Amino acid sequence: MKTANTAAGSGKNSNTFQSSRSRRFKSGLVGWLFVAAAVILIAAFYFYPMIQALILSFQTGTGINMKFNGLGNYQRLFTDKMFLTAVANTFIYLLFQVPIMIILAMFFSVLLNDRNLKFKGFFRTAIFLPAITSLVAYSIVFKYLFAPDGLVNAMLMNIHIINAPIQWISDPFWAKVTIIIAITWRWTGYNMIFYLSGLQNIDQSIYEAARIDGASAIRQFFSITIPLLKPIILFTSITSTIGTLQLFDEVMNITKGGPGNATTTISQYIYNLSFEYSADFGYAATVSYSIVIMIIILSFIQFKVAGDRNA
Amino acid sequence: MKNWKKILLPLAASALMLSACSGGGGGDATTAGSGGSGDTEKKEITIWAWDPNFNIAALNLAKEKYAKDHPDVTINIVENAQADIVQKLNTGLNSGTTKGLPNVVLIEDYRAQNFLQSYPDAFRDMSDKIKAEDFADYKAGPTSFDGKQYGIPFDSGVTGFYVRTDYLEQAGYTVEDVTNIDWDQFIEIGKKVKEATGKAMLTQDPNDLGTLRVMLQSAGSWYLKEDGVTPNIAGNAAFKEALETYKAMFDADIVKLNSDWSQFVAAFNSGDVASVPTGNWITPSVKAEASQSGKWAVVPIPRLKDTANSINASNSGGSSWYVMNVDGQDAAADFMAATFGSDAELYQDLLSKIGVLGTLKAASGGEAYEQPDEFFGGQKIYSDFAKWTTEVPKVNFGLHTYAIEDILSAEVQNYLNGSKDVDAVMNDTQAQAEAQLK
Repeated sequence: MKTANTAAGSGKNSNTFQSSRSRRFKSGLVGWLFVAAAVILIAAFYFYPMIQALILSFQTGTGINMKFNGLGNYQRLFTDKMFLTAVANTFIYLLFQVPIMIILAMFFSVLLNDRNLKFKGFFRTAIFLPAITSLVAYSIVFKYLFAPDGLVNAMLMNIHIINAPIQWISDPFWAKVTIIIAITWRWTGYNMIFYLSGLQNIDQSIYEAARIDGASAIRQFFSITIPLLKPIILFTSITSTIGTLQLFDEVMNITKGGPGNATTTISQYIYNLSFEYSADFGYAATVSYSIVIMIIILSFIQFKVAGDRNA
Repeated sequence: MKNWKKILLPLAASALMLSACSGGGGGDATTAGSGGSGDTEKKEITIWAWDPNFNIAALNLAKEKYAKDHPDVTINIVENAQADIVQKLNTGLNSGTTKGLPNVVLIEDYRAQNFLQSYPDAFRDMSDKIKAEDFADYKAGPTSFDGKQYGIPFDSGVTGFYVRTDYLEQAGYTVEDVTNIDWDQFIEIGKKVKEATGKAMLTQDPNDLGTLRVMLQSAGSWYLKEDGVTPNIAGNAAFKEALETYKAMFDADIVKLNSDWSQFVAAFNSGDVASVPTGNWITPSVKAEASQSGKWAVVPIPRLKDTANSINASNSGGSSWYVMNVDGQDAAADFMAATFGSDAELYQDLLSKIGVLGTLKAASGGEAYEQPDEFFGGQKIYSDFAKWTTEVPKVNFGLHTYAIEDILSAEVQNYLNGSKDVDAVMNDTQAQAEAQLK
């Protein structure tokens, strides 16, 4: 390139113009090369599989005997009772678990943000600790805690709240409750951290002003804390929604989806279609894409409802 | 020159990253892969199986024996959980490359057809090395496809009705009274046992329909028709009786519920249930409670009362070996044929050392099988099991055992809690299965 430059450069002006252009081009090239490594890797390991999965979702068959069947898989979604059960279960988790967890996380964070609280570090660690446990390990512990003759039943019976053991795992209703309790325990501390950091960004003078105006603590919470935490609420509810739609480990390990599909989630159904049943990867890809569509729709709604002014 | 450095650096960095990625992925392949050296002198065979106390132990015995006469063959036995093997096989075979796949793999009989049909040419036709007739008849169903014998049948899942003789005695029964009975009699005896001892007759996980499968196969029937794909639920008389019997067990209040394997085992180890009607693979778990020695007996599994062709022999589980169509397949086929495929002596060792009950007909007699077991009051349980193995009705498990079972288990819940009658349950299961299994 350099030789080409000198050969072409006849006048001084054009030479400097040329070289500055080529310098800009070169620095641009170098910049692109730096990005290229990441772009190539992301394209190869994210976008390429995504496109392949999309193509796969229009095919049907088992194993390697695949053939295209147009929108057949997507039509099948609407008549597939197991898929609809899995979606219904997932949305039950979503509707009950996410609000409970977010309210709890906010509640804990406000308590822990109190400047007069002693042993703050201890409490914060204690509540955050579940978030660093392994999903499988804690699921198995929960399974034993909630067994018919497990610790929870023994405790409830000893304090005479119940007379007979609750079938936490094998009753369709209680199995869902068990899953909700488990994921709430696991993720509340994680979300609490976001609220804590959000709370620390709120200027104390706002509260002082409110106190001078005679606002009660409850009034302060609803009129100052919640509005100022709105972006965090939005963030945690979106990540929790996505997390719940992808729920897998807990259900797989605690109930295996039972009793009678009462706790199956969409992710578990995808796993079952691929590996447990008859290796129907095409339809499994279709179900995966249905999650993508649901996440997009739900996130869009949450943005519209909560985030318009902050976005 | 400076410019070149600027360009080279990111290139080198990305090359490093890429090689790091491929290194991570390839590591498995080189260790687990077949040596690919079928033509050279040194032969290497890789085998995947699960359960160190059973399948892996059996492989080690076979390997030891084979190595004496074949010093040129190296055999790598790799332990994987069954779910992992299913996943790795599926993803490996789907990717179209055989790299990283083993030479021999163990597959559960209920899943075998799924692999054989989903991945034609992935497995080696073993018809030239072994004969299907040499093995228990019922094993031919899952291990062959399209007239070709792919699998080397391995363990027998033949069922037995394990029963506590002391509880029976308290209720006024002898072992003869429970031998070759039907399930209705089983329930009646169960009620009496509960009256006399307060113990449940058996333990069940409502999510696991194993008992239903056992009842079905005793009548030579299955979830699917002979073709292995068409659901065979609605209008299946054997299925209807099995369902009704299953519900009657729960209605008679003789079932102790469990929700997983450890609770299942605990139920009989603790003496809470009077019997365990299931596959012979439960023997080691029953014997694990040494204090109950002499209190157990094993009799043939009950049959369905009104289904004429239901007999007192059935099957639950079991697996077989499959040689994969990859480099080194002939060495692997030779190994399998010489050991699990024909060596009756090996099966004596397998039984006496590990407790593996094989399905090779030539091995169903012999010293190890004639050994009385003090735990079962001196009964020759293995020779009994071997006899029942030959009687098990042959069925085609087909492609969709677990898919149907998930549909069915939801419907069975509705049936057990009384919100649906038996015909509605069968029709709905049939309709759902037809819609889903395409």
